[in-house]
Amino acid sequence: MIMKERLKIISLLISNTITVPLLLLTLLSACVTARIEDNRLGITGLNDGEGIVIMAKSYHLGNETENKFISCVSRNMRDGASGLRIISNQEFVDSLFPWFEPRTAPANMQSLPLLMNRPEVASIIKNNGIRYIIWVDGNTDSTGGGGNLSCAVGPGGAGCFGFAWWSDDAKYEASVWDLSDFSEDGNVTADYSGTSFLPAVIIPIPFIARTQNRACQGLSEQLKLFIVG
Amino acid sequence: MKYKKNKNFLGLVATFLILSCSSQITVLDPNIPKPVIASSNLSAAIKYPDNFEDFSHEEQIIGEDKWQIKLGGSNKILFNKLFSSIFNDFIILDKDSALESTIDILIEPEIEAFEFSVPKQSQTNAFAVWIRYRIKIYDNQGKTIANWPISAYGKSETGTFSDNNDLGHAAILAMRDAAALIILQIEKSSILK
Repeated sequence: MIMKERLKIISLLISNTITVPLLLLTLLSACVTARIEDNRLGITGLNDGEGIVIMAKSYHLGNETENKFISCVSRNMRDGASGLRIISNQEFVDSLFPWFEPRTAPANMQSLPLLMNRPEVASIIKNNGIRYIIWVDGNTDSTGGGGNLSCAVGPGGAGCFGFAWWSDDAKYEASVWDLSDFSEDGNVTADYSGTSFLPAVIIPIPFIARTQNRACQGLSEQLKLFIVG
Repeated sequence: MKYKKNKNFLGLVATFLILSCSSQITVLDPNIPKPVIASSNLSAAIKYPDNFEDFSHEEQIIGEDKWQIKLGGSNKILFNKLFSSIFNDFIILDKDSALESTIDILIEPEIEAFEFSVPKQSQTNAFAVWIRYRIKIYDNQGKTIANWPISAYGKSETGTFSDNNDLGHAAILAMRDAAALIILQIEKSSILK
């Protein structure tokens, strides 16, 4: 009986150690405003065995899309009940070296047929069942911040006092290229902005706006809908 | 005896201080994938300068750490992989050996300049590397048929806690860029025709 009681208490403690931080995290998330738009130019769809590659536009064109954002979109589109076949972009770039390097990757739809005229390139793309390339452009920027927060440590203890805030703006555009007919099927744009707060009265309590993460989730969901409807 | 012990201790402290103020990155193999290109039946030879065996670049950034990047023999690995994919018949010549009459072209690569920037300098979250190579190509009569400057660039983003390996990754991206540029130059030229 004592053993059962103990086990009950332990399981309660474990569930609380997981639930309480999760609850706090949900409550302490700051607000993010979102705008997602798509612009359809062609009919999309994905047959059995066909896949998608998510690529960041070249840094030679001044683009600064973060690698972790590309990984996040790839993961979100791959996972879940309606997950799609996403091909690793590093494997794709390596298998077609040097034609999708930052310097050589086609910058627009007009240069794609030229590249596909190379029989070796066309054969690799066909054999891997690559139907779409999604080019992601944009990044997350810090747009400002302010406030004043100071912390001090003394013999009696430590503490912080003040208030700080900062804003992030995540703007991304994903262009969908269909390799089956060398056409641009459209694009999806995601514009998210969020402000994080850090008030402190002895203990700082952060209210973090996960702007980039929310932009990744929003863009991935919209892209899934865009491709398979 | 006591003096010797103190001297050893001071030496250790000095070494620790020097090491703690410098960052060293080593690139062993750039792992360049096999290029997707149609290869040529021409026979080619390559002659490497001495610094291709153990290339190293050191830079003291004003007000910051000292950075040393060792590319070792990675340039040699890069060019061997690249040119052996372009030419079916490809050999490496010693520095002093003469060109055989059966060889159609001789390639002589060179590193002319190496530069890099770290996030603190560029006020971004990226390491960047620029490598300027010069590729000279001669026919079997010793006549220059190509003399190309190849300016390659690689950029690798880093997180909040920057990792020195990101500089090595930027160098690898610059080497991949060089390989891409060389392929484009060779395809544009009349060498393979």
